[in-house]
Amino acid sequence: MNRRDFIRQVGCGAMGSTTLLSTLTSLGAVNGAMSGSASKLRTSATDDYKALVCVLYSGGIDSFNMLIPLGTNAGGDNGFNDYKNVRSDIAIQTNTSLLPLNNPRCSGFRGQPCNYGSYGVHPSMTGVQNLFNNGKLSFMANIGTLIEPVMTKAEYQSGLKKLPLGIYSHSDQIMQWQTSVPQSRDALGFGGRLADLLHASNSMEDISMNISLGGKNNFQRGKTVAEYSISNNIDANNVGITALPSWWSNSGIMTDLRNNAIDSLVSKTYANLLHKTYSSTAKSSIDSFEVFKNALIKVPSMTTTFGTSSIEKDLQAVAKVMSVRNDLGAKRQIFFVNYGGWDMHDNLVNGLTQRLPNISNALKSFYDATAELGIAENVTTFTISDFARTITSNGLGSDHAWGGNTMVMGGAVNGGRIFGRFPRMDVSSSNTQNISFRGNFIPSISTDEMYAELALWYGVSPYDLCYALPNLRNFYSYSPNTYPVGFMNFNGTTISNEDKPEGCLSY
Amino acid sequence: MKIKIHIFFLLLICLEIHITVAQQTTTIIGKGNLQKVNVTSSSTSINGQRTLTSIGFLPNYSAASRFLSQATFGSTYTEIQNVANQGIERWLDTQLAMPNSFRTQTYVQNLHQSMVDSLNIKNGVNTYTLNNVGVSNWHFDAAWFQGCMTAPDQLRWRVAFALSEILVTSRISAFDGNPYALASYYDVLMDNAFGNYRTLLDKITYHPAMGSYLTFLNNHATDLAKQTYPDENYAREIMQLFTIGLYELNLDGSEKKDANGHLIPTYDNDDIENLAKVFTGLSWGDVTYLGASPKNTWSYTLRMKFFGLDSSDAKKNTWKTNPRIVDGHERGSKTFLGSTVDPTASRTAMQGEADIQDALNIIFNHPNVGPFISRRLIQRLVTSNPSPAFIQRVATVFNNNGSGVRGDLKAVIRAILLDPEARNCCGDDTETFGKLREPFVRYMNLIKGLNLIATGGIYRNSMTRVYDQTSQRPLSSPSVFNFYSPDYIPNGPLKDAGKVGPEFQLLSSQTLTGYFNALNAWLINDDPIDYSVLFSGETYKPNQEPKFNTVSDYVLARNDKLPQLLDKYNLVLANGHLSTETLNTISQAIKGMPYSEDANGVPNTTEAFRRVRLAIYLIMTSPDYLINK
Repeated sequence: MNRRDFIRQVGCGAMGSTTLLSTLTSLGAVNGAMSGSASKLRTSATDDYKALVCVLYSGGIDSFNMLIPLGTNAGGDNGFNDYKNVRSDIAIQTNTSLLPLNNPRCSGFRGQPCNYGSYGVHPSMTGVQNLFNNGKLSFMANIGTLIEPVMTKAEYQSGLKKLPLGIYSHSDQIMQWQTSVPQSRDALGFGGRLADLLHASNSMEDISMNISLGGKNNFQRGKTVAEYSISNNIDANNVGITALPSWWSNSGIMTDLRNNAIDSLVSKTYANLLHKTYSSTAKSSIDSFEVFKNALIKVPSMTTTFGTSSIEKDLQAVAKVMSVRNDLGAKRQIFFVNYGGWDMHDNLVNGLTQRLPNISNALKSFYDATAELGIAENVTTFTISDFARTITSNGLGSDHAWGGNTMVMGGAVNGGRIFGRFPRMDVSSSNTQNISFRGNFIPSISTDEMYAELALWYGVSPYDLCYALPNLRNFYSYSPNTYPVGFMNFNGTTISNEDKPEGCLSY
Repeated sequence: MKIKIHIFFLLLICLEIHITVAQQTTTIIGKGNLQKVNVTSSSTSINGQRTLTSIGFLPNYSAASRFLSQATFGSTYTEIQNVANQGIERWLDTQLAMPNSFRTQTYVQNLHQSMVDSLNIKNGVNTYTLNNVGVSNWHFDAAWFQGCMTAPDQLRWRVAFALSEILVTSRISAFDGNPYALASYYDVLMDNAFGNYRTLLDKITYHPAMGSYLTFLNNHATDLAKQTYPDENYAREIMQLFTIGLYELNLDGSEKKDANGHLIPTYDNDDIENLAKVFTGLSWGDVTYLGASPKNTWSYTLRMKFFGLDSSDAKKNTWKTNPRIVDGHERGSKTFLGSTVDPTASRTAMQGEADIQDALNIIFNHPNVGPFISRRLIQRLVTSNPSPAFIQRVATVFNNNGSGVRGDLKAVIRAILLDPEARNCCGDDTETFGKLREPFVRYMNLIKGLNLIATGGIYRNSMTRVYDQTSQRPLSSPSVFNFYSPDYIPNGPLKDAGKVGPEFQLLSSQTLTGYFNALNAWLINDDPIDYSVLFSGETYKPNQEPKFNTVSDYVLARNDKLPQLLDKYNLVLANGHLSTETLNTISQAIKGMPYSEDANGVPNTTEAFRRVRLAIYLIMTSPDYLINK
């Protein structure tokens, strides 16, 4: 009997869903305690909470100017010189200005070695360097959209491998990073599918597991779960439909009258599908406002400070929502943040210098805020983008490419490492990872593998991975203590063995 | 089941109608076209055909209002009467014949000049000039609003807005803060809204706002010494978003399949790399070398200039005796979309501009353009999910306007708005017909529907609230992908039915309440436009910040008159599409509000104001209004 049947048989009316869920949660906590460490016992007993934070850099970030090889040994690890030579006028010109990463042990992937040993980050990313060197952040090198592994240019050109739709197109790649289903243009999002599987963990039906600071998005769209959008102005008065003016007589009663009418208009049965779609979206939003409003009143003041860029404000808002997770009945949450402006065909060097510090500061502040809230171990943040950019220059910037570098951050991350196979920084025909004279790399790690690792940590059982990630079987099948990439620290995490009734998805 | 109905008209033409009857409807034949009805006439008189097929027959008021909701930003009762009296086709042809009557760039410049003059007078100096007095984005917004409120060619305004959502540039870019760039680009869309699509492609390709937005301005030939290559941005987006899309299409807009049932890509990355070489050598219209910076604010209004050679080294370093002069435009043959530009590689770099025109011809003549652009324009104006037959009819006109001309937008717009599927208001396909009204269009619906009038004829509207609350406003798209994708599929019933709902991509819990709360400000707080000062210390000009005048509606605020009030705004705002149930719900709420009259039967103005405004608010938030069928 799975949990859904159990709930159905007991009946929520008799027992109360909150009570039931608390019972199940404490059972989970006991399991954790028996297999895990002391710290796991502490967090579980007080707070069996897990959150994923997806930060999208929309536009296609030039991540080969974010994570950069550092070596200058001709004949040995000569990464920086290779890099500088191929990137010409868009390269960071001196390796001494890069911020070095301590012993990153770049892992290689799928039996293929990493091409360089020593790395640094962009000179403006002090926060990221700090997080990395303190073991709270890792990189994934040359990760991207794949349907199945493609190892070489010859395989890419063979016509025998399934390839993602629209490899260099913004609209396709930004979508595929969010769905992890590169063969489809109407797939559900990875975050949405996670929420489909696990939304019963949360006790309030009206509050979505998926909260967006970036409006509507593909990532958080599930079969049954839709995102709930908020602004980064976390103020209870800023939520919901404005009351009628206070100077109206009986303003409160009039507002109720109006709200009832609004509610009744969106609750009617409509025949037209556009009407239906609109009214159900409106109804679910309206139902959420009150709960959200009441929760936000309880946001505590925090000492961690954030800057004023939109990514910093957004992540600060995420931390504030997390601080009232209990008032929202949330044991599991998935956040979505979008920080755009990376399509730097032009003005790349200055553009990165202006915007990368915001990313770096935002991640550092956000990590500190989760630590302040006592949930650093419970929150995992990862970054995605449409694609990386050509390693060669167009004279002012770089163009659309494919595999790139991303970050994953949090207390449960196996930090201070580079996972994956950083490509060789040249566009010669001997570089089998490269498929264009402009320098476009076949990804070594697939988005599926990164997401599978996050899913297992988040509480998806191996049985349900085929719902969360329809193509995963092309890359990975679960066996205990063998994880898809290795960037999460699973010590003390119990892998769920609950088989949800969703079944597998295929596209 | 097919039955035959014989109808005798006063014209004494005998008509046979084959109609598939699913259920009884009360449709009046001739009001708009009925689908699945074949009409034959025993007479050769074209009038007989037209009476039944559509356009000759005068529409009723609801049909007129519905037509105007597709062809304009919204309408007053008077304009609805006007269309009902003269007929849709005549109104349309009159509009299509009108020249562009308003130039946003001129208006921006006039605003700018008035700031300069005022500052000089105010400070008793003559030191202020257009060059040292700053302008901002909102001057474009004020110009846009002024034009849309006063210009008679309302169809052109609506179509230009639709084009601005297809051929996207945006202030969220390098020219943020330059209203001249926005206005100049918008004027191109206005000027060419009823022109030829090939001309429009030329104009946007050479417009510095596009050149800057999609980063091909100052694009340079491959330079192996520097290891730099042409920028691929425009090459990709002009094909993906402005003309042909990613996959080969049939004339009806459906995607072609190969023998294995797979979609057929229109181009691959080699095509992009080749086309990128074509768009090299263009720079600002007022500079002397490729790679130069814009001279001033107005550089954004001048057609880009072609530089075959890159003489920047010589121009920047005049002391050099042997400066480096290289190709600015890439020479040689370039193959893309199965065609080749300069196949014999005989052109010099200086002759490279011919490459650009050849490439635009190749793109423009690709068979995808007709169905691709037709579908997008239909979606912007009429319905999110046009039938393949609808797309095919319009695409056929795109391919040939009847006089052998391809890309005639006037004919295309006419074909869209007169199509049976657009005009049929009560047919069978009501389950998926229509679109979610765009938030910005809703704002203009309200402004027009409530007949906002500035007594001096000047409107000072920076349109900030509509953007802050709904994320939409002309030329404010977050990216070249517009506010929403034409293929966006929202979850729920549309997804289950395999249908798209582009505008739903902009609908989240945030923008939903944003719209409700903006309405609250516009209607309830009586603050319909966002007045901004031109310079600090400027005297407030209240007649440039008009309010809605709903006083004449107060007599309709009484319970027994409410049906008339609701009927009026149902017609003006919602094409008469509010259901009885919706009307009852609104009526019920309004009846719960205080209402009183003095001894002479004159309504209490405060109470009547509140009733009228809340009634309009509820209409504007009802699903029956928000989905325009």
